[in-house]
Order: sequence, then C-alpha cells, then structure tokens
Amino acid sequence: MTRTLLLSIALSALALPALAQTLTIYTSQPQEQMTEVIAAFNEEHPEIEVELFRSGTTEVMAKLQAEFAAGGSPADVLLIADAVAMTQLKGDERLMAYPEAPTEGIDAALLDADAMFFPTKLITTGIVYNTDLVDTPPTSWADLAQPEAAAQTIMPSPLYSGAAAIHVGTMVQQDQFGWDYFEMLAENGAVAGQGNGTVLEAVARGEKGYGVLVEYMAMNAKAQGSPVDFVFPSEGVTVVTQPVAILASTDAPEAARAFVDWQLGQAAQQQSVAQGYFPLGAGLDAPEGYPDPASLTLIEADNARLLADGETVKQEFADLYGG
Amino acid sequence: MLALVLCLYVGIITIWPLGQLLLTALQSGDAGEPLGVMRDTLAARATSRAFWNTLTLSLISVGISTALGTALALAVGLMWMPLKATLSFLILMPLIIPSQILALSWIELMGAQSPILRPLGLALAPGQGNPLYSRFGIALVMGIEHMPLVFIAVRAALRGLPADLVDAARIAAIPPCCILTRVILPLALPSALAGALLAFTAAVGNFGIPALLGIPGRVPMLTTLIYQRLNGFGPSVAGQVAVLALILTLLAAAALLLRGAAMRQLRVPVEAGRSFQPARIAPAWAQALIWAVVLLIAILPLAALILTSFVPAIGVAFSLEVASLDQYRRVLANPAVIRAFQNSLLLSALAAVICVLVALPLAYLAARRTSPAIAAMDLVAEVPWVVPGTVVALAMILAFLPPLPVIGVSLYGTGAIILIAYLARFLPLVLRPLTAAAAAGDAAEDEAARIAGIGLTGRLGRIFAPSVAPSALAGGVLILMTAMNELTLSALLWSSGHETIGVMVFSLQYEGNSTAAAAVSVLSTLLLVVLCVIAELALGRRRAMALPWRA
Repeated sequence: MTRTLLLSIALSALALPALAQTLTIYTSQPQEQMTEVIAAFNEEHPEIEVELFRSGTTEVMAKLQAEFAAGGSPADVLLIADAVAMTQLKGDERLMAYPEAPTEGIDAALLDADAMFFPTKLITTGIVYNTDLVDTPPTSWADLAQPEAAAQTIMPSPLYSGAAAIHVGTMVQQDQFGWDYFEMLAENGAVAGQGNGTVLEAVARGEKGYGVLVEYMAMNAKAQGSPVDFVFPSEGVTVVTQPVAILASTDAPEAARAFVDWQLGQAAQQQSVAQGYFPLGAGLDAPEGYPDPASLTLIEADNARLLADGETVKQEFADLYGG
Repeated sequence: MLALVLCLYVGIITIWPLGQLLLTALQSGDAGEPLGVMRDTLAARATSRAFWNTLTLSLISVGISTALGTALALAVGLMWMPLKATLSFLILMPLIIPSQILALSWIELMGAQSPILRPLGLALAPGQGNPLYSRFGIALVMGIEHMPLVFIAVRAALRGLPADLVDAARIAAIPPCCILTRVILPLALPSALAGALLAFTAAVGNFGIPALLGIPGRVPMLTTLIYQRLNGFGPSVAGQVAVLALILTLLAAAALLLRGAAMRQLRVPVEAGRSFQPARIAPAWAQALIWAVVLLIAILPLAALILTSFVPAIGVAFSLEVASLDQYRRVLANPAVIRAFQNSLLLSALAAVICVLVALPLAYLAARRTSPAIAAMDLVAEVPWVVPGTVVALAMILAFLPPLPVIGVSLYGTGAIILIAYLARFLPLVLRPLTAAAAAGDAAEDEAARIAGIGLTGRLGRIFAPSVAPSALAGGVLILMTAMNELTLSALLWSSGHETIGVMVFSLQYEGNSTAAAAVSVLSTLLLVVLCVIAELALGRRRAMALPWRA
C-alpha cells in the first residue's frame, strides 16, 4: 500500500512537468503581431497560457546565454529570425528534436536534417523608400549604392537583427556584391541603425529617403498609411525563415509541441499571410499587393559559411559602420 | 533583535549586491594579472569615448539647467505675478515627467513631421535627420529635464532671503540691478551651485535620454554602453560593465562630495528674520518671456506627444482629418501593455509599502536607540539612491543571477529582482524624511512609554508611527510615483511577463512603433497626474506640502 502510494506520488511528480500549461516563448517577432498569434493559438489550445519575451534576435540570444549561465532558462519555445542562430543552439545541444512535426508541403531544402527547428514563414529583405522624398524609386541593390541614394540610406545592423545578420552574411558571399558593396555604401554615406524598427522609423518619418528592410514591416506601414513603399530588387532578395524550435530544457514539452504543430498548420500560415508575410507552404497566396513568391529571385546563401563567419561578419560590419 | 533583522535586510538588498559589483570590477584578468579586467576596460577606446561623452554632455546640460533654473527662480521669486502657483508647477513638469517620455516628446516636437512646428512652417525639411539624435540634443534635453533641480534650490534660497537686507539696500538708494547682482545673487549662489551639482549627478546617471537620443545618434554614454554591452553580449562581459559602473559611481560621488564642501564653504550666514516678499509686479514683457519659456519647455513637447498619439501611422502628418484613437485602441488591446501597467502599479505599490514598513523602525532606532551598527545602516541605505540606477541594476544582476543558496532558484528573470532593486534604490526617499521627522520629534514620550513598560512594538506602532505619519505617507507617495515610471532599473532587469511601463515605451519605440509608444506615454502621464491628484486629496492641504511637486 505504502509502496503504491509512493510510486503514484513519484509518477505524478514525473507527470507534473508535462502537465505544466504555461508556455514561455522567446521571439523576435513584433509585440503586436505576437499578441494576435497567441490569441489565435489559444482559440485552439485554451488550456495553454503563453508568456512572451520579445526583443531583437541578437538580444534574445544574449538573454538565453545569460539564463543558461544562471542555471537554466524559463523559455520553452524559441521563434527567432534566422536559422543560423538556431544552428548554433543546436550545436550547443540546447534544442529538442521533434521528428513527428507536421512538415508536409514545406520545401525540404528549408528543413533541418535532425528536426530540431522548423521554418514558419519567408521573410525577405529588400529596399524601402519614402514616397514623399523619392521620385524615381530604385529597382536594384546597385541603384541603392549610387552616391545620391546611398547618402540617404539607413540599414539595420547585424549586431541587433537576425535578418540583418543573414542579409549582410548572404550578400558578402555573392561575387557581384561582397564586402566591396558594403564599403561602397559606407563611402557614399549610408549609415546603420539598430534593428529593423529604427530603419522603418527613419524612412517613414522622412529622416532618410531609403532603407534596407524586411518586406512585411514596410508593406504593413504602407497599408496603415505611412508614406513608404517597398522594392524587391532585381538582383534578388535575401531570405530568413523565422524558425521555431523547442528548447531541450523545456518543462512543458507537450505544450511546446502543440505550439510547433500549430505554427506549421494552416491556421497559423493564414494568419502569417494576413500579417504581411509570404506563406511558406504551397496552396496559399501571398498577401495582397505582394508579388507571387514564385516570381521572386532569392539570393542563395551558404548556410555552413554563414554560421562559420557569423562573428567575422559582425566585426567587419562594425568596423565599417561603427558599433 | 529588531536591529539585527534590519541590518540583515539592508545587507541583503544593498551591501551584498554592491559588494559583488565591486568584486567583479576588481577581479583579475584572464591571465590572472591583478585588476586585469579593470585595466583592459579602462584602456578600451569605447570606454574613453563613453566617459568623455558622459562628462562633457553632463557638464553642458548642467550649464543649461543652471542658467535656465536660476533665471526662472529669480523671476518667479523676486517679482509678483498672477498664476504664480501654476507657473511653478509647469516649471517643475520636466522633472515629474519620466526621462524616456520627455525624450520621446522632444523627438516628436523637433522631427520633420512635427505636429506643432510643421503647420507653422518651422519644421526641418524632410530628408534631414532629427537634430536631437546628437550630442547637442542629449545635452539640451537633459539640461531641460534637470533644470527644476536648480530652480528648487534657488527658489528655496530666495525664500530665506532677509527682507531687511533688501530694504537696507533700497534705503541706501542702490539701484535695483545692483541689489540683484551685489546682494541677492551672492546669497543665492551657493544654492545654485548645490542645485547644479545635483543636476550633474542626475545627468551622469540618466538613462532614458541617452537611450532614446544617443543610441540612434551613435553617441555612447556610460549608462547606454552598459545597457548595450549587457544586452548584446550577456553576462560574459560582467567584469567590463562593472568597471564602467564603477566609473559612473565615482563621477556621481565626486559631484556629491563637491556639493557638500561647497555648501559648507560658501554658505553665507544671514540673520533670520522677516523674509523677502516680492512686491513689484513683473513688467508685461517679463511675464510674456517667462510664459514663452514655460510654453517651450513644458507645454509644446507634451502637446507634440499627444498629437502624435492621434496619428494613424508613423510618418503621417497630423491633421484633424486623419486624427483617430486607433493607437489607443490598439495598445489597450495589447495584453503586454496592460500587463506592463499592472506590473508597474503592483511593483511600485509593493515597494512603497515595504519601504515605509522598513524605514519606520530604522528611523526609530536611528533617532531613539542609536548604535554604531544602526548609524552605519542608515548611511549605507542611502547609497543605492546616490549612485546611478544603472549601477544598482547591474549589482542586482551580479548578486541574484547565480541561483540562491539553499533553494537553488535564480531570481533573475522574475519580478522579484525588479522589486528588490526598487526596495534598495527607493528606500532613502522615505527614510530621509522619516529620520528628519524623528529627529525633530520629542523623545520624552517614547521614554515615558518605555518606563511605563510598553514594549518596543507597542511604542513603534502606537507612539512613533503616528507622530511621523505625514512624512511616511509623503515618502510612500514619492516612491510610488518614482517607481511607476522608472526605466533605468527595469531596462536591465525585466523579463517575459514582467514588463514595466518604462520598458514598454522604450521597446515600442525601438520596434519602430513610435506612435504606439506615444499613446502609452500619454496614458502613463495621465495615470501619473491622477496619482498626483489622489495624493493631494488623500493627504489633505497641509500634509500635501511635503509632496515633491510642491517644492
């Protein structure tokens, strides 16, 4: 009798973490969007209470490292801009594999071989410009580097933004751009802000004419009435996939899997489109006013090199544009 | 026993964290060379750049504060004019408004899309950056924010100005301008200097203004460098940032020591007596000038902020056709914003209550049962308020990031670490007035009660507490209002689910959503005003004189 009792207590202690229904998500997606995401998720899973920490990808990573050093992170799920940061965490054995994740319909090239993290949307980086200030919009990255345009250009810094880290890392891998391109921009007067938010602020307020920006921020601001428009440059756009992952140290693996399932499902994909993101899987149209994703030229990145060169890219960029 | 508990309390929330900070700053380098971390950090170019920026911009801002504050105090103190109380309140506004909101409202006022300057044709041409994202901008806005510190000091000195002195000068047929320069100014000078040094301490520790103006403007200051390093690199740079925090502390401490010395050396003993009452009505031009200055520093920036919060999207120029309440609808539907308001209210109310409960016995012991240990605690408790907030926040991280002994839980990432930081930093706000009230009070009652055999708790609760209740209440209110809107501590200590109002404004602005940031700022300023009114009503007319904005 005592034995059964002890056993059942031990078992329920084991089961407790699995029943914990508070899910902590660390993300780089904007606050207002995450609010909508959580509301929609809770419609399907009202039993899971979601807590959120939001900041730029680089800061989210710094916070995680701080918490690992403090003995453990409260985070269960990570939803950040780029796969390279995820690969780094995977290398540190901080992620939990989830081979059963519903990944049908997603381009196999975007998937992690060990099912540690999963792409949720396509985010491209192109050129935003102020419609009050710019008469002839640029059509290419080369246009942006011309002296008149570059002098009025602001871009996000890889020291803050995951998308910017991938953008700069990808561009410098290309023969036609390389560091020469960023040197030319800097020489012609382009400056770096912090995250994508500072770029949108500067361009929408008319402090700068042009900016390097993720497409959804520009398109959403345009839809709300800000005097901005967006160009998908003719040479192509760089891409991040906003991957989602479960942390190995999670105390709510069931809830975390439910969130990953939901992120990859139709409802979340439709919501992403409504929030101004390109859909990931087939069968959904791009948001209104966006080009057909199939018509976009994507600049290919060598992910292994991105990971290996991550710190060097940040350092070089900081040397050119200041910390 | 009570003394022991209090020592333990101060030890845990103040001595231990600040001690950790000092140890971290002094630790040896990677190769084991003594003070290695400190030498490396001091040699780094980023450190010297931030140090010189902090020093020069603080000095320039103090120049602005002193000139403006002294001039306004002289005008308001020496001349009679209508609506003087309103004027005084408006002059104090920049100090009451939290610095991140002040910075935001100046950004809105001076930008190319300024809802105030643009219709007047005074706004900058589009395509130019906001001029405030610069050294000049930081110094200007800090100068305005800390101007009231000088104003309050000079105003107090003028209140103590003996009327006989001025009358004697008048009878001697000295022209008014000479009375001002030869009689009044020398008497007000020590106070102006004291106010200026206080403004310097405040400027050195300011985080909100350098964060909103200096980070986009690439003007690193010590406070923002600590924030950026810690956010960008995590705790691996703890040693470096601890050294930066030490530099900050030394700058602030130097100013305060200088202030003490100046107060002692320069004070001119004057006979107490009938104090000077302004009789001359200010000439119309002077009144117009004062109102113009007040309009510029207190009203226009806030008006720009409010108008911006009615704009549907950033970059849209304000006009009545586009004005809407959409931003308010959106931020009020955002649970994170609601949570921030709840957290800030809860944390600051808790901090106020606990600080009052701790300060009561501490002030009692310091005044009635003093011992070397208690005197030391009384002094140590001041430190977290005197040093810049960033230093306190960093000390808290260093002390409470490692899991606590015995229970094995880290407080980092919980609301508790913010609360502890508030408790340490804001305790002096109630302790100081309480010790003053206790020292001024009568010790005989306590003595009588003791002889009558009433226990310590009885004497504390039934005799001491009622006698100092007004000071305790005013101190509590001051803590509530200061903690409600602070950003400096929570910027480093907040975590998921534990956002504060200050953090919310800062991160919305940072996300590129400054219209929403403006809406949250307006809401929190409204809340602050409501709290002011409640405090006035609750305290009643006489006790309300102890409130900070009545200075």
